[in-house]
Amino acid sequence: MAIDVNNLSYSYGNFKVLSDITFSVRKGDFFIVIGPNGSGKTTLMKVVAGILKPQNGRLEILGQPIDQYTRKALARTIAFVPQTLPVDFPFSVTEVVLMGRSPYLGMLGLEQERDLEIARQAIAFTGVEHLAHRKLDQLSGGEQQRVFIARAICQEPEVILLDEPTASLDLAHQVRLLDLMEKLKREKGVTVVMISHDVNLAAMYADSLLLLNKGQIVSRGNPDQVLTFQTLEEVYGCTLLVDESPLGKFPRVTPVPGKFVGKS
Amino acid sequence: MIAMGLSLASGQPAAARTVKDQLGRRVDVPDEPRRVVALAPNITEIVFALGQEDRLKGVTTYSDFPPAATMLPKVGSYIRLDLERIVALKPDLCIAVKDGNPKETVQRLELLKIPVYAVDPRNLETVMQTVMEIGRLLNAGEKASTLLQNMRSRILKVQSLVAKSTYRPRVFFQIGIDPIVSIGTDTFIHELIILAGGQNLAAGAVTYPRFSQEQVLALSPEVFIITSMTRAASFEDVKAGWSRWPDMPAVRNQRILLEDSNIFDRPTPRLVDALELLVRRIHPELFKEAE
Amino acid sequence: MNTKTPLLLKRLLAISFALMLVLLIAMLVGLSAGSTPSGIQALFQSLLGIGEPDSMLDTIIWRIRFPRVLLSALVGATLSLGGLVFQALLRNPLAEPYILGISGGSAIGAIIGILMGFSRFPGVSLAAFAGSVATLLLILAMSSGQTILKKDALLLSGVMVNAFCAAVIMFLVSITQDSRLHNIIFWLMGDLSMIDIGHAGILAATLLPCFILLFWFSNSMNLLLMGKEMALTMGVNIQAVTVALLVVTSFMVSATVSYCGLLGFVGLVMPHLLRLLFGPDHRVLVPACILGGGAYLIFCDVLARVLPEQGEMPAGVITAMIGAPLFIFLLKRSAR
Repeated sequence: MAIDVNNLSYSYGNFKVLSDITFSVRKGDFFIVIGPNGSGKTTLMKVVAGILKPQNGRLEILGQPIDQYTRKALARTIAFVPQTLPVDFPFSVTEVVLMGRSPYLGMLGLEQERDLEIARQAIAFTGVEHLAHRKLDQLSGGEQQRVFIARAICQEPEVILLDEPTASLDLAHQVRLLDLMEKLKREKGVTVVMISHDVNLAAMYADSLLLLNKGQIVSRGNPDQVLTFQTLEEVYGCTLLVDESPLGKFPRVTPVPGKFVGKS
Repeated sequence: MIAMGLSLASGQPAAARTVKDQLGRRVDVPDEPRRVVALAPNITEIVFALGQEDRLKGVTTYSDFPPAATMLPKVGSYIRLDLERIVALKPDLCIAVKDGNPKETVQRLELLKIPVYAVDPRNLETVMQTVMEIGRLLNAGEKASTLLQNMRSRILKVQSLVAKSTYRPRVFFQIGIDPIVSIGTDTFIHELIILAGGQNLAAGAVTYPRFSQEQVLALSPEVFIITSMTRAASFEDVKAGWSRWPDMPAVRNQRILLEDSNIFDRPTPRLVDALELLVRRIHPELFKEAE
Repeated sequence: MNTKTPLLLKRLLAISFALMLVLLIAMLVGLSAGSTPSGIQALFQSLLGIGEPDSMLDTIIWRIRFPRVLLSALVGATLSLGGLVFQALLRNPLAEPYILGISGGSAIGAIIGILMGFSRFPGVSLAAFAGSVATLLLILAMSSGQTILKKDALLLSGVMVNAFCAAVIMFLVSITQDSRLHNIIFWLMGDLSMIDIGHAGILAATLLPCFILLFWFSNSMNLLLMGKEMALTMGVNIQAVTVALLVVTSFMVSATVSYCGLLGFVGLVMPHLLRLLFGPDHRVLVPACILGGGAYLIFCDVLARVLPEQGEMPAGVITAMIGAPLFIFLLKRSAR
């Protein structure tokens, strides 16, 4: 198992955000977490990434409890890609990607030829070679996202965590990003754990889904198991039509606005 | 003579003696100071008054009396001395004032083996003591005695004149225009006013007390003396300003006067000039009698 | 594809070497300039021991000017480096070395020391140092446990405390009557002249370990700029790094303030100027700030000594008069 979570809970002060979370992520899986806003998805991601410390529960990465990892060892195992990053200072794309090598380098992070090669490959992998000299703040949202992923790839992680990477992207770029993740999983064997707000895209790519609502797990398993209209209607609170997608053997979820209710 | 010249050139002091300055510090001063730097305008005045200006090689920026002093090389202002300029003059003695000269600069001069004699004139008596000590330093002891005798006799004359009158007019001495600032007990001017037979309306613990217009009017001054660093033109404005209150005795009797500030707040022999001037202003009636 | 390292090491050495030359030139200019005419020739004669020994000129150059030039270099380096570190730590380009209450606290400490009649060293210096430590602790207490505006809590507390201190300072100045007022004003305007070689040496010995330590953390500063959470996931011990950067930088800035009062704009402008010239990598910027910042302040001090006909201007006036337009120019340049 890449990730094992047992009875995990997390509270911000008195406000309980996650309760009694238990699930596992298989190695090499494309694991997508879905759920309505405020269900605790980002908090869960940050706990798994080691950014937040849970009040209760056990978390194991590759079979080892997370607090037994040194900071740098954890950084070599898990890479985290946030939704946005601050761009206060004008680092170039190459400089940002190279930062991903720091878990392998000393305090001053003096990069060797090998590190440069890894960075070059990561930049090629994510398709941003033509932007290598540009400053980060000159890029579009989608391009920045790919630079952050290239940086994460440089960490040579076993697991990559992404917090709603498609949130501000248009359709083409959403698909492009998900294809990239699939390529990462296929070619490098990286376990991809991602938060998505788009249930249909999640259905198209995920090996396993985790559905969260109000800080608790509602359902987990493969897309067929999780995306049933009863479960989804209860969680999202609106009328839904779930059928099989014409593109393959996975569910397709269509919201049904009020004006269409009553027609079959 | 040659030996002295040679030893000076090599940076070693000629024959020297150890004295105690006014702050109780032991200072090694040359027997015959040839290159003196005065670190405050009043020291400059005193050196000139003792006729020892030939020994003087450097003065501070506002050393404007006597006029000959303005021709001497400047070493910065007394509150911010220019160490480089002082050293460049190769002094064998510096005379400093406690109130104003930065302690650190004095220390650095001494570290550079330049003797610094410090004085602290706070009233007429210590001014006279300062004159005497500087006189001794510069081998002008006789001249100093003569000067002091002159000062003392003039002061006595004023005192006996004042003794003839029992009335002590209320004096307001304005040194600041905006805000209105006067002088408290711990100042030369206060001492002079008392000696000149007046009452200092601003007497008190605060050295430079501030007043509002109302407070001044309430004090009902009979003699109003204004000194300031500003030009005479604004004096007319200030006088006109006070003249709006015809109930003030000083206005009624037309006794609002402008005087040159330098003789009043510099601790030099000219304080006696200031005293004589004050007594004429405060007790003009005593002079009418004399005439 | 252009990559920067191992060219980084080459770049670092090249830039450091170039700036060291600039610093050297600055020091030569600093030793040659002053209120007594001397010139570069006299300086070399003195240095190399040729020609007739002129003990007066030697005294002026080595016992008066040299400590001052050394102090300017140390203070310029510290302030520039301090500004750089706080800009990275607080992720705010307007951060400057005095921002965490150091200017307010040290000024109040110094004024109290002056009013109590202490001499510059050690009394007033220690009082100034104590004042800045006190305000720093106050700010840390105020901003701990903040959940709203977490990132800017430290910064805002600092700005607030400095503003309050400014009011206290104005009050103290208004009630001071005598010649100590001059001492206070000169302290507030920055004064590089009150130093002798002994004190300069102590300051150098105190600051050099700080410079080395901050260079050691320079890559961590790069990572911190991606945000604390991100730096954490890349293996940075953000607790230790934040505390170390905060403590070391505050200490070294407070130390310089206690020697020479407040010198504004150096710590704000130099990091931006050097970033514009050499890029945002702190591994290059830390040495650049040390060398370039030192040279800059030496030049400012030379101007302060040489421009006015009579006496000298306070160094703080020159740094503001040059720094502010320079900053505006940089702002326009980087907007392109």
